[in-house]
Amino acid sequence: MAHKILIIDDEEDIREVAALSLETVAGWDVVMANSGAQGLARAIEYQPDAILLDVMMPGMDGPTTFRELRKNPATARIPVLLLTAKVQSSDQRRFADLGVEAVLFKPFDPLTLSTQIASVLGWN
Amino acid sequence: MAAAGQPALSQALDRMWNRFLPEIEERIAILETAAAEFAALTLSTEQCEAATSAAHKLAGVLGIFGLARGTDLARELENLYSRPNGPEPAIGARLASLAAELRTMIESRR
Repeated sequence: MAHKILIIDDEEDIREVAALSLETVAGWDVVMANSGAQGLARAIEYQPDAILLDVMMPGMDGPTTFRELRKNPATARIPVLLLTAKVQSSDQRRFADLGVEAVLFKPFDPLTLSTQIASVLGWN
Repeated sequence: MAAAGQPALSQALDRMWNRFLPEIEERIAILETAAAEFAALTLSTEQCEAATSAAHKLAGVLGIFGLARGTDLARELENLYSRPNGPEPAIGARLASLAAELRTMIESRR
């Protein structure tokens, strides 16, 4: 059965390319959300196998969205991978300390994004 | 995993590039405007924040479309615009040249 991934990112181009990559390369099912609030609702509704969550979003940012996901029993156990264009090591440490499964970086390689995710989550 | 069709992915990425090109060009226009305003000593805080945001978004997306150098240029711009007091006066020409190089790069990808 194909894995189901929720992508939460306010940038449409990133969202669409990530979805294209995961669908085309890995054959996974992708659900998208353009904000933290929409992402929380979709996570509850679709119960994805994993969530790819952008860090910098207007309104509810990635770290806040992650904490909300963890607070809700319906989404608390869904693995979350942060996606960020921040490359400074202080940012990386801060994100890793949140307790997410992994921090992935933009720009990602569309050909290998699914492999990265699968490797982190032990789906290989 | 499903069979990964690299040619199919490349073709789909090209279609996406064309679809999102106006947005990418808009972000570069923000950087060009900010560089011009900076040179004229009229760069506002809002324009500086808009330039930081545009550069950040370009840094995240250009490499996905095979423009790794574009990501590097955009990242440098993001760093310059995001300094606490804005860019230093001495690097005005650098802001313009980075934006110009980004523009050239985008146009050559068409």
